[in-house]
Amino acid sequence: MRLIVLLCLVLYGCGEAKRPVVEGDPERGRLLLRQFGCGACHGIPGVADAQGKVGPPLAGVARRVYLGGVLPNTPQNMARWIRAPQEFDPPTVMPDLQVTPEHARDMVAYLYTLE
Amino acid sequence: MKWLAGIAAISAAAAAVVIYAGLYDVSATDQHLAPTYRLLDIAMKRAVRRRASNIEVPELGRPAQVQRGLALYRSHCVQCHGAPGVAPEPFALGLTPAPANLAYTAREWPAADLFWVVKEGLKMTGMPAWKHRMDDDEIWALVAFLQELPRLSPADYRSREAQRVAASAPAPLAAADAGRGRMTLNQYACVTCHAIPGVVGANAPVGPPLAGIGARGFIAGVLPNTSHNMVRWLRSPQSVDPLSAMPDLGVSEQDARDIAAYLSTLK
Repeated sequence: MRLIVLLCLVLYGCGEAKRPVVEGDPERGRLLLRQFGCGACHGIPGVADAQGKVGPPLAGVARRVYLGGVLPNTPQNMARWIRAPQEFDPPTVMPDLQVTPEHARDMVAYLYTLE
Repeated sequence: MKWLAGIAAISAAAAAVVIYAGLYDVSATDQHLAPTYRLLDIAMKRAVRRRASNIEVPELGRPAQVQRGLALYRSHCVQCHGAPGVAPEPFALGLTPAPANLAYTAREWPAADLFWVVKEGLKMTGMPAWKHRMDDDEIWALVAFLQELPRLSPADYRSREAQRVAASAPAPLAAADAGRGRMTLNQYACVTCHAIPGVVGANAPVGPPLAGIGARGFIAGVLPNTSHNMVRWLRSPQSVDPLSAMPDLGVSEQDARDIAAYLSTLK
């Protein structure tokens, strides 16, 4: 039995997909997500008090295919979405929080650790 | 007893090796071994017979009913199964198992079994379940047509398909049912894009996970999450957000209500 479990674990690890390289500082991004109040609307693992249920949970967002249901998920697109959601989906309730390009990059660096 | 447990453990380990090393050929070009095919065929027929045994067969064969069945056959079946003198589409020829020639099946099988297979579909074949796409009257009309099929020459088939029929009035709506909704989610392939608690499948992260959707404030980030709005969204996402990647899957009003009822239980 132990052999089977071990085998499963070893072989399961082989299926890892390639992840894009993300610039920015994930640790600073984590703090910024808190500063900008993202957790009021989203559940975000690792961000204190981020238990919001207005929008979708961000656990696993690095693997999600679309952002806001409209934009293909790449680190560049995520930064653009965070900075100006209405530019990509005019009816979205996600607000434009005046995030700077640098801050957006750090937020993306953290969000891309959420697999 | 100890050696029995030993054999079981070794068999399980061997099966695990075969599975994880990828030794089993899942390609559609690799045909089944003859005994495997025979066994699967028997298992399928026995399973259908068992489940269809309580189905009451209505009167079949009225000309209008057969003609309606032909129209349905042309829109939903001929692509894979072909018809007298008509080949299946190229994509259907690549399926394993190959879709059956229904002129033969219809002659050999009881009407109730045909009805059940059309309605429920067959797992791990290309045969879809039609219960969410056709109502029982339509499926019986199809069965009535299938029973005619062995008696139709290619020329008969061509002349009959030229005739047209009107669609019937839609069935009245039943109360929303969360249990039915959970089964219905599978029938619209929702798990190919969403992780959904209680539904087994790919659960791929194309769109957001639906765990907790019952408590979420907004649908798709644009629509306040009420059951009415959820039905509206499920039936026509682009009318809510023209840019959405969520496709219009032709969900019926009843199915959308059932699905919304199930989703509202995911808190």
